[in-house]
Parts: sequence; structure tokens; C-alpha cells
Amino acid sequence: MSISSSLSTDGQELQINIEGRFDFNVHSSFRRAYEEPGNEVGSYIVDMTAASYLDSSALGMLLLLRDYAGGDSASITIVHCNDDIKKIFAISNFEQLFDIK
Amino acid sequence: MKNPFVVDELRVADCPSVPITKILIADDNNTDRLLLKAILCQQGHEVFVAKDGHEAIEVFREMQPDLVLLDVLMPNVDGFEAAEKIRQLAGEAFIPIIFLTSLQSTDALVRCLDAGGDDFLPKPYNSVVLKAKLDAFIRMGEMHRTMQRQRDLIAIHNERLLREQEIAKRVFDKVAHSGCLNADNIRYLLSPIAIFNGDVALAGVSPAGNLMVLLGDFTGHGLDAAIGAMPLAQTFYSMLEKGFSLQDILREINEKLYDVLPVDVFCCAIVADIDFSNGVMQIWNGGLPDGVLYRSFDGKSIPLTSQHIPFGIRNTAHFDDSVATFEVQPDDRLFLWSDGIQEATNNQSEMFGEERLLKIFEKNTDPEQLFDEVNEAVAEFISDEAVSDDVSIVEVKIVAPIDFHADRPDFIGSNPAGPRDWSLKYELRPQTLSNFDPLPMLLYVLRQVPYLRNFGGQIFTVLTELYTNALEHGVLQLNSSLKNSTAGFDHYYQLREQRLLHLQDGTIGIQLDYKGTGNGGRLKVTIEDSGEGFDYKNLENGLSGDVPYAGRGINLMRSICHSIEYLGSGNVVCASFVWGDS
Amino acid sequence: MNAPQPSLNYVALKEVQGVMGDDFPLLVEVFFTDSVKLLTAIQSALDEGNTDSLRWAAHSFKGSAGNMSATALAALCHELEGLASSGTIVGGGHLMTQLVDEYERVKSALEDI
Repeated sequence: MSISSSLSTDGQELQINIEGRFDFNVHSSFRRAYEEPGNEVGSYIVDMTAASYLDSSALGMLLLLRDYAGGDSASITIVHCNDDIKKIFAISNFEQLFDIK
Repeated sequence: MKNPFVVDELRVADCPSVPITKILIADDNNTDRLLLKAILCQQGHEVFVAKDGHEAIEVFREMQPDLVLLDVLMPNVDGFEAAEKIRQLAGEAFIPIIFLTSLQSTDALVRCLDAGGDDFLPKPYNSVVLKAKLDAFIRMGEMHRTMQRQRDLIAIHNERLLREQEIAKRVFDKVAHSGCLNADNIRYLLSPIAIFNGDVALAGVSPAGNLMVLLGDFTGHGLDAAIGAMPLAQTFYSMLEKGFSLQDILREINEKLYDVLPVDVFCCAIVADIDFSNGVMQIWNGGLPDGVLYRSFDGKSIPLTSQHIPFGIRNTAHFDDSVATFEVQPDDRLFLWSDGIQEATNNQSEMFGEERLLKIFEKNTDPEQLFDEVNEAVAEFISDEAVSDDVSIVEVKIVAPIDFHADRPDFIGSNPAGPRDWSLKYELRPQTLSNFDPLPMLLYVLRQVPYLRNFGGQIFTVLTELYTNALEHGVLQLNSSLKNSTAGFDHYYQLREQRLLHLQDGTIGIQLDYKGTGNGGRLKVTIEDSGEGFDYKNLENGLSGDVPYAGRGINLMRSICHSIEYLGSGNVVCASFVWGDS
Repeated sequence: MNAPQPSLNYVALKEVQGVMGDDFPLLVEVFFTDSVKLLTAIQSALDEGNTDSLRWAAHSFKGSAGNMSATALAALCHELEGLASSGTIVGGGHLMTQLVDEYERVKSALEDI
């Protein structure tokens, strides 16, 4: 499991890539991924292409990101979720909080 | 001839004043000892000396050096013996023992190591080799001490954590297994490691006799879960007891948890409010897997799907308290579970999943066995006991009101005598009617009468029934015959919601009139709505006619009240309770 | 007989001097004192035929001789120690004579410094 991130050239968009299991073990690295670029970033993309699994603490981490990015005014898009992960988002109705594609 | 020990003592003053490492040298050979000491002092260490093994042990005991250099052949106690004794004294502290020797046989060197030596230094001394060896041991010693400190710190933290978890568990158990979970028609299995997975089950009876059940699953573990469980249970029970509606309770729970929980901790929950008298069940599911309503008459399983964000994530303004309403009959069964069942994983990393769960319901022939079948299937699937502990499941069997027995909360007032003679009039206008439930407040007033506390449930039932009739049939003009079919039943509640939302006109007046005597009393409840009323004369004559009211509600009230009569055009109803010698 | 060798390894001795600094004469003095004690002990052990005492004294003297860079002296001690270890003192008297001679050479060499 690992977390990587890249900032767009204009520094406006941060993409965070999740690889493997998205659970409590990546808590610190996920946090670092969005805290290091600072909160000048306008929007966030969380890419789940390589994510295999997501647990409730991962939902908590996404809430922390949402809080960091401005709460209700946060712009966070979660992309490329597999079916299992989509289902977890559906049960928790997180599509009301995040733009899930 | 000078005493070499005096010479040694004099030399201490020349050593650097802030020594890094305390080193003990034991050698009976004065020349060697003096030279070694000079080398070590020059390298910045604090040096103690002993001229034989016996003295070495004494000096070690007194000075607690970090490192010991022992000559092998010494009078009295030799190096091997001294090493063993020093090892004993050192306990678990990391004290490297290095033998000083010009012995060259392999046997002798092996003996050095066997005796507890960590290394040996050959004579004649070479200060470069000496420094390299000692530095290595000093670094190891520092690492060892750091590790020990960290280990001790971790042990202390761990012990504290365990103690806190123990306390949290006690608190948590108290609230997680409370209420009327032990009622005859409820079965539940709550993970014994609830403290670690944060599952909570609550059940209680409202003053009107509704059963409310909540199964919650906190994210986070241990203290996080316990922090949330307290306000959750407290809010649930105290509001339920006071007669608040499901929506009010949901909103309040959400607000409490939103306030108290950290951003990344929330509570997935499913809440059921079951009205046995009217055969209505309301469900709110925020983030838990589909519950199941198993219908007895056709054996169908209706999924109770999550439609909301879990508790504690969004503030009140964004909280959605809308519920799904279902018609229920005796012998229907409600199943609630946390994600422990679906996520139960076998040794091939396969999850139990929803499909397997639904298969159990399809195959079932005796509904009474469903609960056990589910648990057995999960246990069999994983076969690893450690994981099977992570399952929380609640089953509620719908029963006839008369068969529902559960401990109700005690109503304890502060004033034993209470007010003796009073009347209260309360009028609700459209804006209030659409979003406010007046019953908890009225019940609170009635509870001030000591005698009425014992009848809280019955009076609340009557008040609820009369108020609901006035609202739904009087003000909202809903026809209860709609509720006779399942489709109509849904339609009825949709209409109710729509009309409430757009309510412009209409009022309901409530009057409570109480007169108490020493050993008895009389309470008159009058409810008047702004609706058209109905032809109650047929009802009085025992004819069913085209009565817009649900029949069983009226019959129930007749059995509770001393008298019940309709007035005016049927838009006024007056119920009396009389007791004692009044 | 040992081939004639320099009594002191001056290169090694230089290092010892460096370490001891002003205390080098003190070290030499202690060495002399020790040496007298040990030579006496070796002589007594030979007289008594006590191989254990001989072994210990020769071993000890070997250590200090080595540390004082007296290579030939240390080698003679080593021979004596080996003798004692094999449980005999035969040939010890001859070695003792050599040892005393060598010590006198070392002593005067050290005194010259």
C-alpha cells in the first residue's frame, strides 16, 4: 500500500493516488499527502485506480481531507473506484459529500 | 617506591571533566592498568580501576560503570568469575564486558566469551583498535538504553491504554447493552469485542408503547467509540422516555455526535421505530448495510437500505431525518446488522458478502431459526473464532401489542404531591403543525401529577391517537381507508408528508383539565381541530359507517379512558380519565 | 638463543609516550617496580617448582613488557609461560638468565629516554 501525490503545474489541483489497501495504516502518509502542499490548493482528486480495499477509517481520512479543504466548500473528486469501493461509498452516502466518479 | 594506586588516583584530575562513558578497568598489572587508563582518559572517558576481580566487583557495585574491561588472570577472583558476578549485578542493563588478555589460545578466547565476555582486547594495547572497539560498544549501549527507555515508555503507555480501554469498556458495556434488549421478542448478539469494533445496540419503549431499536457502529476503536456511545445512549433513552418522535431523536443524536466526535469518527446506524398498535414501522438507515424486514405472510425479505450519511458527519442544517415507513404485522421480523457479517473474511480472504446472507433468507423454512442460521453460516464460513467475534446482529419479532412486554422507564418526578387543580390550553398553528411535535411537552406537564406517572403510557397513547387523528384527518384531510392496502399505505404517508410541508391553514387546540383530590383525580383531554369533522353519531351507535378514523385506534382508547365523546361536527373530541375517590 | 634484536620497539614506544604525555616517566617507574616484583616472583616459582605461579607471573610480565614495547622481553616471558603451561620448569633457569639480561637492557634503554 502506498500513497503518492502530484500537484498540477499551476499549483491549483492536487492529485492523490491510493495504491492497495486504503486503511488506517496509511493514515499518516495520506495526511502528509494533502498537508505538505499547503491549503493554497483549490481542488483535490483522489484516484482510486490502484486501490483494492477501503475501510471505515479510510472514510474518516476522507472526512479529514474534506475538513482540511474547507468542509462544505471543499472541492474533492474521487475517481476510478472499483465496484466494492463504490458500494461502500453508496452505503455511507458519501456521494453527498464528495464528487464520486 | 610509589604506590601505583595513588598514581592512578592523581591521574583522575587530568581526565576530561565531562566524561561520556564510565569504564571500569580491572588488572593486577600496574603498568598495563596505568597505560590503559591513560588511553581511555585521553579518549574522554571516566575511568575507575581495580587491581583484582574482587575489587572489580566492589567498584562495579559502587560506581555502576557502563563498560567493564577485565584482565583474565588476576589474584583472588579471576576475570571469568568477576565477569559472571558482574553480569548478575548488571541485571538487564547492557554492560559490555571486554577481556584484556595476552592469552592466545582459542580455548582461552572461547572461555572469555562463555564467561559472559562480549569481546577481548589483546595486549599490547593499540589505542586505535581500542577506540574502535569501545566506540562500537558505547554506541550499542546507547542504542540499547534508548530501546529500553522506549520499551519502558511503551509498556507504561500500553498499561495506561489498557486501563483506559478497560474503563471505556465498562462504560461502553453499560450503555451498549442497556434498555429493553432483553424483551421476549428481541434477540441480539453483540460482539464481545464491542469495545474494539465500536458496535452499540439500544432498545427502549416510548410512552406510547412504541419500541425503538438502534444498532450503531462507530468508526474508530476503543475510546473513540466509547466517547460517542455515551451521548448516543443518553440522548436515545432520555428523549425516548420523554416521548419525542423518531425524527427529533435522530436530529438530536446527530447533533450531539457532530459536536463531540472528531472529524474522522462517525457512527453508522440503523434506527427502527415500531408501533405495534398501528402496525407501522419507521426506519432510518445512515451508513449501515441493508437491514431486512422479513414478511411473515409471503416470506419476502424487504431490504432496509441506507439512505443517509451516518451520524456525526454533518451539522443539523444538513441532517436528513426523513424515514422510510413500512407496514408490519405480527410475526414479521426485523433484522439489523453491522458490516461485521458481510465483511467476515475466511482464510482465502473471501468476504461473506450480501449474497450469502440473502441466500439464507431464501432457503429458510422456519423463520424462528433465521437468527441462528445467519450466525451459524457466518461462523462456519470463517471457521476462525477470532474473527467470528466481530459480528453484531439484532432481531426484532413484531408481536401484537398485548404480547409485547418490556420494562418501561420509571417516571420519577420531583414533586410528590404535584399541582392539584389546573387547566392548560394550547393552540398549534400551521407553521408549528408542520414541524413540531407537541406531545413530549404535554406529557411532561402531565407527569407533574404523581398518579398520572403510572399511566404515562396509556395517557400518551390516547393523546397521540387523538392528536394524530386531529392532524391527519382533521387538518390534513387524509382518509384512513387508504391504509387498507400496501400501496395505499405508502401513498397515505407520502400525502401526509406533502400536505404537512405545504400547510397554510388549520389549527389544533389542545386542552388539559385536571382536578386532583386526596386519593383520586380526573383528567379531561379535549382536542379540537379546524377540520370538517365527521358523522360521529354512527360511531356512537356502534356502527362503523364511513368513518375516516382507523377503527382500532378508537377501540383502544375506549378500553383505556373512562369516557370518550365527540362534540360539535365531530371535530372536537373529549376523553376523560377518572380514578380514585373523585 | 635469540637472535640479537632491538630491546625496544621505538615506534610503538613513541605512541605510548604520546598517550602518557608528562606522565611517561611515572609509567616507566611503575614498570620498573612491577618488573622487580615479577622477576622475584618468577625466580621464587622456579625455585619452588610451582608451575601455576610461574605461569601467572610470566603471563603478567609478558603483558607489561609488551605494553612497554619491550618485544624481546615479552617473547622470553611468552616462552616461560608456555613452559609453565606444559607443566614443567625444565629449561626455566636458562630462560630466567636471558630474561634478567634482557630486562637490564630494556631498563637502561628506557632510562636513556
